[in-house]
Amino acid sequence: MKWRVISIELSEPLAELPACAGYEGVRVVFFQNGVPLGHCRLAAAQLPASPQHLANQASNAIALAVGDYLLEEGFRSALPGVPEPQPESPGRALRSLVRLKNPVQELAHRLSAQVESTVTVSIAVCTRERPEALARCLASLAKLSEPAVEVLVIDNAPQSGRTREVVELFPGVRYVCEPQKGLSTARNTALALASGAVVAFVDDDAVVHPKWLGRIRRCFSDSNVMVATGLVLPAELETQAQMIFEESFHFFHQGYRYRRFDAKYFSATRNKGVPVWEIGAGANMAVRRTVYELGHRFDTRLGPGVFGGCGEDSEFWYGILAAGWSCVYEPSACVFHYHRRELNDLRRLVYQYMQGHVAALLLQFAKYRDFGNLRRLLLRLPAEYAVLVLRLIVTGFALDQRILLRGALGCLAGLRFAFRKPQQA
Amino acid sequence: MWNKVRERYYIAYVEIKQPLEAVVAPDGYTGVAVVLRFLGRPVGFFMQGGAGIAADELATAIFRHAGKQILSEKVYADLRGSLDTSPFPPLDIAICTHGRPDALARCLRSLDAIGLPCDGIRVLVIDNAPRDQQTASAVKEFPRVHYLVEPKPGLDFARNRAISEATGELLAFLDDDVVVDPCWLEGLREAWAANPDAGAFTGPILPLELETTSQVVFERMGGFGKSFERVRFANVLPESPTYPVGAGVFGAGANMVFRRLALDQLGGFDDALDTGAPLPGGGDLDIFYRIVRAGYPLVREPKLLVYHQHRREYGRLRHQMWTWGLGTMAYINKSWRHDAAHRPEIRRWVWWWLCYQLSKLFAPFLRRNRAHWPWDMVVAEVAGAIVGLCGEYDRSIARVERVRREAA
Repeated sequence: MKWRVISIELSEPLAELPACAGYEGVRVVFFQNGVPLGHCRLAAAQLPASPQHLANQASNAIALAVGDYLLEEGFRSALPGVPEPQPESPGRALRSLVRLKNPVQELAHRLSAQVESTVTVSIAVCTRERPEALARCLASLAKLSEPAVEVLVIDNAPQSGRTREVVELFPGVRYVCEPQKGLSTARNTALALASGAVVAFVDDDAVVHPKWLGRIRRCFSDSNVMVATGLVLPAELETQAQMIFEESFHFFHQGYRYRRFDAKYFSATRNKGVPVWEIGAGANMAVRRTVYELGHRFDTRLGPGVFGGCGEDSEFWYGILAAGWSCVYEPSACVFHYHRRELNDLRRLVYQYMQGHVAALLLQFAKYRDFGNLRRLLLRLPAEYAVLVLRLIVTGFALDQRILLRGALGCLAGLRFAFRKPQQA
Repeated sequence: MWNKVRERYYIAYVEIKQPLEAVVAPDGYTGVAVVLRFLGRPVGFFMQGGAGIAADELATAIFRHAGKQILSEKVYADLRGSLDTSPFPPLDIAICTHGRPDALARCLRSLDAIGLPCDGIRVLVIDNAPRDQQTASAVKEFPRVHYLVEPKPGLDFARNRAISEATGELLAFLDDDVVVDPCWLEGLREAWAANPDAGAFTGPILPLELETTSQVVFERMGGFGKSFERVRFANVLPESPTYPVGAGVFGAGANMVFRRLALDQLGGFDDALDTGAPLPGGGDLDIFYRIVRAGYPLVREPKLLVYHQHRREYGRLRHQMWTWGLGTMAYINKSWRHDAAHRPEIRRWVWWWLCYQLSKLFAPFLRRNRAHWPWDMVVAEVAGAIVGLCGEYDRSIARVERVRREAA
C-alpha cells in the first residue's frame, strides 16, 4: 500500500509521467504558480501516463478550484452543514463562464499579481520530543520566500535537551521552554511571547510550502479575520496507515477552494452544532494576536497532552465565531504533513481524536450553552456510528472502517470529560 | 403502482454559447428534457417537470448541471494544446439488426448525414435471422452500405460475424434503434488521437424521444449512462473496491467502438450472452469487463454521442428491467467462473448491488432529491437478477449449443 506523492506544476508543459517501481501508483497534486488546485490518483497500471492523459485527469481535478479563483460568481465551495451557495445572478455567472478564455494561463496571470500585505507574522512550532521531525520542519521554514518576524520553538514539557540542541543548529530561531504539559498551554505561551501581529502555527511533523507565509499573511488584510487555516497535504504515503489516514478519513483535507466562516455562518448552523472541526486543521493555522489580548485562550483542559488528541483548536475557533469574528480557510497556504506510519498509532490517533472531539463538544456546550453541541453529541454521532456499522457489514469489515469504529470507544472515553475535576491552573 | 400519471417530456437542445431563451414545451407535454452543448460539445443533460423553463431559471440549471463540465473542457483544451486528429485508422461501423427496418433506416440516415460511409469507413448491416426481406430492402436505399445476413439468432452471433467481416483497425457497434449525433465521428477521432493505445471507446446515450411514460420513467431512473466527463479507464481504479465488475459505468452496447485486434485477442463476444429472448443482455458488460481486465484502456468520450429510442410501452420496460437484472447476473456468473483472481471484487459488487437495489426501494422515504425508482421496476430487476444468479448462464449455454447444432 505504498503510493508515491508527486507535485505537478501546470505552468510548465506537461510531460509524460513515468512508471514508478515499488509503488502501487502515484498521487498527483496539481499546482499553478505554487497554488494547489486539485489532486488525482493514478494506479501503477495506468502508468506511464501520457501528457494527454494527464491533461484530462488534471482538467477534471482542478476545474472547481479554477472556477473559484477566476470567476466572480459560482464555483464557491460549499460550507459544511449549510446548502451549497448558488450564484446570485446565474445569467451573469454563466456569461462570464462562457466568455472565459484560456483559464490556465489566465489563472497564472492572476496568481502572479496578487496583493501584498503588511501584517507582521511570527511563526510558532510547538513540539515535544520529536527532534528529527522538528529539524525537518525548521529547515523548511528557513526556505520561506518571505521571512517571518521571528520563529519560536515552544518545547513542551521536555524530557531531554534534544529539542534545544536541534534549535541551536538554526540561527535566528528562538527556543522557549514551556514546562506545563499540554499543546494548549504551549500555544498560549506562543501567543503571549510572539511579537508579530499574527502567530502562524505549524506542527513539528509538517514541512511548509515556500510561499506559505505570504499566503497566510494575506488572509489577515481583512480586519474581521482572526483565524486562518490552510491546506494540509500528505508529505508521503509510504504505509497503509498513512494511506488510510489521507484517503479514507479526510481528517485534514478541506478541499482546494477558499472558505469563509463568519458570524452569519455561526448562527445558521448553531442549532445543529457548528461543525467547527471542518474549518481546518490545527497543524496549519494562524491566529491574530488581538484575540489573545482580548482574553481568548486555547482551553488548557483540552488538547494533546491533557485530554484527547485534538479539540483545543476547534474549540478556540468556536469561541472566535461566537464572538462575531471570522475564520478563513485558505488552501493556497499549504503545508505537507507526515502522517503516522504505523497502524497502531493510527488506531490510537482515531481514538484520541474522537475523545477530544467529544470533550470539545461538551466544553462548547458548557461555555456557550448552545444545545446544538449536545444535539451533535447525542443524535448525530450515534447515527453516524450506526451508519458506520452498516457500512462495515457492506464492505466486509474493511480495515479503514474497523479503525474508524474504534473512534466510538474514543467518544465514550471523551464523555469522561464531563466528570473531570476542575484543574488548578 | 403509483406511477399511472401519463408523462411526456419535450426534448430541447440548447447551445450555451448562444443567448439563452426560455424553453417552452408545446401543448400536451408534462415536462422538458434539455440537452446542453457548448460549442457543439455535449456537456450536460437534465429533466424537469412543468411546461417550460424561463431563461433565468435555465441559466441556473445550466450552471448546476454543466458548469463544471464547461470549465473542465476549457481547462482541458488549455492544458492539452492542439490535437492532431488527421491520422485516423480504417473504421467499420457494424449495425446488428433484427426486424426493425424503419429504425434501421433512421440510423443509416443519421450516418449518411455525417457523410458515412466514406473512404476508409465502411458501414455493415448484419441482419440477424431475418424472417422477411424488409431489412434487405431498407438497406438497398443506401447503396454504399454493406448488407450481410447472420442466420444464427442471437445478437452476439451477429456481432461476432461483424468481427469476422471487418477489415478496419477500429470496429464500432451501434444498435439499430439509435441515431448518431453529428459530432459522433469527430468525437471518435479526438478520442483516438488522444488515446492511440485504447482498446475500446464508449460514449453517452441520450433519449431520442420521451413521448411515453415508459420512456420518461426509464430516463429518470438513469437510463443509459450519460456522464459527460471524459474518462480513461484502466485495469484498476484506486478508489473503488469493486472495480471493474460494475461494468455499467463504461457504457452500453448501443454505442461502443473497439480496436479490432483486442476483440480478436479476446475471442470476440460471448455468444451465450445477448442471445435475444430469453437472455437479451450482458454481452456488452462482459466485453467491457474483459477488455479492461486484459489491460486495455477504455475511454469514455462525451462527444461520442448517440440518441436511443427507449421502449415505448410500460410493460416492455418492466420486462427490460427484468432482462437487465438477468443479463447482469449471467455476466457476473460467467466472470465468477472465468476470472478466479477477481472473485473478491465480484462478491463485493454483488453484495453492493443488492444493497443498492434495496436503497432504491427505500429512497422515497430516506432522502429527498434522489432519482425516483418505481418499485415495480426495482422488483423486476431484482427478480431477474435472482433468476440470473440461479444458473441462467448455463441454461443459455445449452440453448446456444442447440442453435449452433441446428445451424450446422
